[in-house]
Amino acid sequence: MRIYSASSEETLRARKLLRDWVGDGFLAKTQYQRLEQETPSELRTTNIFLRLVLFLFTLLSVGAAFGLFLVFLSRPSNQTAGVVSLIFAAVCYAAAEAAASQARLYRYGIEEALAVCSVGFLCAGMQAAFFSGRSYSPQPEAIQSMVPAAGVVFSLWIWRRFGLLYAFLAAMIFVIFLPGYWTSSHEAQHLIVAVFYAAGLVVVAVVRSRHRFDYLDEAYSAVEAFLWLGIYLAINLQVSSLNLSMHWWDGTRAASEFARPFYWGTWVLIWCLPPIVLARGIRQRDRFVIAVGAIVAVLTFVSNKPYLGWPRHTWDPMLLGILLTGVAIYLRRWLARGPGGIRNGFTAARLSGKDKQWINVGATVTGLLSPQAPAPQPSSPDFRFGGGQTGGGGAGGDF
Amino acid sequence: MTILTRLEQWKEQGKVSPEQCAHLAGLTRGEPFSLFLELNVLLYAGVLAFVAGLGWNVSTWSKQLGDGLVLTVLSTILAASFWYCFSRAPAWSPAETPAPSPIFDYVLYLGSLIWSMELAYVENRFHVLSGQLDLYLLASAALFFFLAYRFDNRFVLSLALSSLAGWFGLTISHWSAHQDAAYRQYALLYCLLVGVGGALLQRASLKPHFFGTYLNIVANVLFWALLSGVFIRQGYGPWFLALLIACGASVAWGLTRRQFAFVAYAAVYGYVGVSSLFLRGVTDQTAVLFYLVVSGVAMLVALVLIGRRFGRQA
Repeated sequence: MRIYSASSEETLRARKLLRDWVGDGFLAKTQYQRLEQETPSELRTTNIFLRLVLFLFTLLSVGAAFGLFLVFLSRPSNQTAGVVSLIFAAVCYAAAEAAASQARLYRYGIEEALAVCSVGFLCAGMQAAFFSGRSYSPQPEAIQSMVPAAGVVFSLWIWRRFGLLYAFLAAMIFVIFLPGYWTSSHEAQHLIVAVFYAAGLVVVAVVRSRHRFDYLDEAYSAVEAFLWLGIYLAINLQVSSLNLSMHWWDGTRAASEFARPFYWGTWVLIWCLPPIVLARGIRQRDRFVIAVGAIVAVLTFVSNKPYLGWPRHTWDPMLLGILLTGVAIYLRRWLARGPGGIRNGFTAARLSGKDKQWINVGATVTGLLSPQAPAPQPSSPDFRFGGGQTGGGGAGGDF
Repeated sequence: MTILTRLEQWKEQGKVSPEQCAHLAGLTRGEPFSLFLELNVLLYAGVLAFVAGLGWNVSTWSKQLGDGLVLTVLSTILAASFWYCFSRAPAWSPAETPAPSPIFDYVLYLGSLIWSMELAYVENRFHVLSGQLDLYLLASAALFFFLAYRFDNRFVLSLALSSLAGWFGLTISHWSAHQDAAYRQYALLYCLLVGVGGALLQRASLKPHFFGTYLNIVANVLFWALLSGVFIRQGYGPWFLALLIACGASVAWGLTRRQFAFVAYAAVYGYVGVSSLFLRGVTDQTAVLFYLVVSGVAMLVALVLIGRRFGRQA
């Protein structure tokens, strides 16, 4: 099913690990050179920057070519445009296959963009060709769910075939649109999405157990993390609600919008899920799942007050900050006090130079984005300090 | 063949020692599993949430709490943070220095953010330098540069660079006429100052590992400034020429130093600049789309050639 052979991808992984290890000083340069020669790869890869730019220019070229076709057809009907779009989907997919199988491009930007375009053209084409002429109805017809369903199936296929993680994410996003065609009940919609993700999670959990420590382990780890996050977001009615901004800060969102048992059931679940995800991540030593466990734990703290209908306080973020910092310091100290700085197979020490690199990049970016300086102010002498619209570190408009 | 099997094979062939094999196999299996990155992210998020909450409290309750209490709280946190940093820091070294404790960088970051908040509060309440906010930014930038170099901290270096950029921006916001042109000139001056400063500091071996941060910021500000010049209706010629030179320099630097971010900058900014010139005044949809197809494919070919020649390493 996968377009790249397992041995090719395993070899690429070995080469990547060798580079990391020599960078961290675990291998001598001469060792690295010898071992690298023993792991030749026929796949063409590039660095992340060229990959991004190639992706961008492929999207641009394909999008412009599609536009050019429509212009040549001079004001085509929606159906005609839909058919052209479907043809483009087929051409893009064929080109992506050729780029990966013939030119051996691997995460090169080009084949990825072509695959992404094929999903986009397929959905847009189906919508335009089959459903564009229908009269408006507040309750969409179930048959129209064919479009997001096709998006789900094709995105999953792209994910399996090319191993592109974001295609899986796209499939998860398409799933969100499905239940809207089937039922008008908000409870049922949340439930259907959560059930889809849970089913996916079961499948992934079963499949990934066969891939411990091989090249697919990391990919399945990320997919599992996405699914846990998806389930959490589907059941957290405060986070996943569309009119979030209206009710978020004042805590006035009423439980009456949903059936009471459902509403309080989800409240119980949002407290149950973070420890389950964290426990699973720690048990599997899975970085992505641990990260999602931490994220959903924070989201639970943040969304608890709106859930209960309690008002927020200005000191809530401070308390959260103290909690996060306290947990981090406690965990670090607890781990460091273990024999050799290790407890139950976990350490707070840095084992890879890549961690430091990530922190350096993050430090530069977040430092630039941080609210660090006073902003220009109105010159009125009776301007009052206050308002609290932006918070932050002092650079808000009300400072 | 998985990496674990390969390692076993390499050990049997004597290409890696048994100790190396055991260590590398352990790393592959996540034994031990490092939580270094996660704990750092948690610390950073904690500091940011705390400062955000503090700012929200100050802006909401300042009238009820009174200036004295607000300033006392802010000053106490500021003093405690800087006391911690100055008392724990090892002797200064021009080379890269590891932080003396895991929370050190975040305490310094907290202190820097509180400094900004307190300055903003003082100015807004007491108008000490009314209308001269740029001086606050300049003073903050100077302090942050000092702290960044004293404690070898990239968080604070980025704060310093953005404060300096803010100072340039605020200084010219007092000028009402021809603001765009003035902004461009000041952006170029900022690039010159930061670029030359960074290069001199690197040559002097003063925290040379900071140079990458300087260069990335300078490259982006420079390209934005030059692009904004290319977009003007008249007199864009010199800006376009400067953009081409900057793109050439960026590509050359990126390829020789194998820093492909600079190749990407040149490709994207250069393409936008050149396209804006080609498409200037063109209203025919077909011509625009045709140009985008042809130029997009040309860029792809050029980038693939560059990638094949230079950029195979991920």
